[in-house]
Amino acid sequence: MSAALRAPPTFTQALRGFVSLADKTARARVAYRAAILVSLCTSALGYVVFFLVWRELYASGTASALMPQADLFSYLVVAFVLNFALSLQVEGRFGQRLRQGLIAADLLRPLGFLSFQLAQALGDLAMNLVFAVPVYAVGFFFLGPGVLPPSATALSCGVVSVGLALLVNFAISYLLVQVSFVTQTLYGVYFARAALHQAFSGVAAPLAMFPGALATWAHAMPFRHVIETPARILLGQARHSEIPGLLFGQAAWALGLLALSSAIFNAVLKRHQIQGG
Amino acid sequence: MRAFRFYLTLYRTAVLSRAEYRADFFVGVLTAVLMQLAALSFYWVVFSRTTTLGGWPAHAVLLLFALTAMSLSLSELLFNGIWQLPYYIVGGEFDRMLIYPVRSLVFILLSRPELHSIGNFVSGAAIAAFSFHLAPPPDVTYALLPVWVLCGSLVYTAMLVLLGGLSFSIVGPFVNHYFLAFQLLNASRYPAHIYPRWFRGVLLFVFPVAVPIFLPARFVLGETGWLAAVGLPVAAAVASVLVAVWFWERAVTRYQSTGS
Repeated sequence: MSAALRAPPTFTQALRGFVSLADKTARARVAYRAAILVSLCTSALGYVVFFLVWRELYASGTASALMPQADLFSYLVVAFVLNFALSLQVEGRFGQRLRQGLIAADLLRPLGFLSFQLAQALGDLAMNLVFAVPVYAVGFFFLGPGVLPPSATALSCGVVSVGLALLVNFAISYLLVQVSFVTQTLYGVYFARAALHQAFSGVAAPLAMFPGALATWAHAMPFRHVIETPARILLGQARHSEIPGLLFGQAAWALGLLALSSAIFNAVLKRHQIQGG
Repeated sequence: MRAFRFYLTLYRTAVLSRAEYRADFFVGVLTAVLMQLAALSFYWVVFSRTTTLGGWPAHAVLLLFALTAMSLSLSELLFNGIWQLPYYIVGGEFDRMLIYPVRSLVFILLSRPELHSIGNFVSGAAIAAFSFHLAPPPDVTYALLPVWVLCGSLVYTAMLVLLGGLSFSIVGPFVNHYFLAFQLLNASRYPAHIYPRWFRGVLLFVFPVAVPIFLPARFVLGETGWLAAVGLPVAAAVASVLVAVWFWERAVTRYQSTGS
């Protein structure tokens, strides 16, 4: 191996590699555009149920006291778009690399394993956005400007929050996939994360609508920072005084989970065996 | 009889094979319970704001949740192999299934049971027990419950077979289209009459997955007689299975081996 290959990459080289990998991941996913489109449609169908249940509640006059119907429906549109855009393929890719023993090759990459996975997650986000934006446009068509950020502050803080939401979501997945070193398959891990995400992220309703105990649990977990926090900030539903705390909470969860999962990953690698061929 | 013994041996072998991954089994069961609890969290949000949904009390909606979970569970336990079809086609493994002297559809359905379905069944049974605790149903309900679950499972599986049949035309290693059936089944967790007419029509007539779930709950509420509560779910199941088998027999003729 030459000295040039052994030397760690400079920041610029690493950044270039990171962006290039994210770009290639997004392009690779274009091959599965039909599958992504079908996935979008089935997700939307599932989401329609939430809309219809809320519509029934508002029609019966039992939900209006908490939040105006227009605000809730705008929230649901943004939550759906975020939920779809932030559907990362971390578990699927990790599981495949684990089963095929390709983690050994990934560890040799100059970018580093974590950055390698994160770059691909960014590629997922970019590709998902291509499909999610038209849904947002449909939401705008039906609900009007209520689905748009009401101010430049909401927009700029919202964009930062979406970036942090990507990190939090990635960190949750990256932490949970470590279980697959024990279980060897990722079915359980994938659906466990999906279940917790569905219950506590605020994907079907903002946490203000949650009953006491459920709200307490949701506030104690990171999932709300993937959907509810960026959605509320984008829509101007979060007070200005709240926003710094929310962004700090997102960053703290992201860093904490990434540090924990990296520590577990490094510990697991010391005893993980890959059969040579 | 020989074919039945073959299916039994196939299924038993498949169960033993799946049971090898013990850690995954326990995580899977736990996960299945978590998924049901996650769905119930939205129910909790809704019923923390109201006492009825579309005029239905909480216990009736809980029964919808229970029947949905148990129907899903039975389908996963017995007929889950259809989810593997796209991968069998892409990998050329479907060739092997065509040369067995049994029906390819039954073979593929039985070839990969999902044991985590036990988690869904236990969750569904617990939710049903709680619903019956809140409002004791007519005694005959306990006898009819297995019939409804079986019918729900057959209708859901038939939908998966219909969607799976598309994999012969749209070849690719993905199962995203199967989730249409999954989402329609999940939509049955809420009273069908709160949905707009088009969606109600899809759930009750086009893909009648709500029939073995919604009508039994109506029966428990005293809104319909037992004849409709039994006859219509059985009719929906029989019709769905017949259509699915018919569609499968035609779809399979489109299969082109990968040649590898």
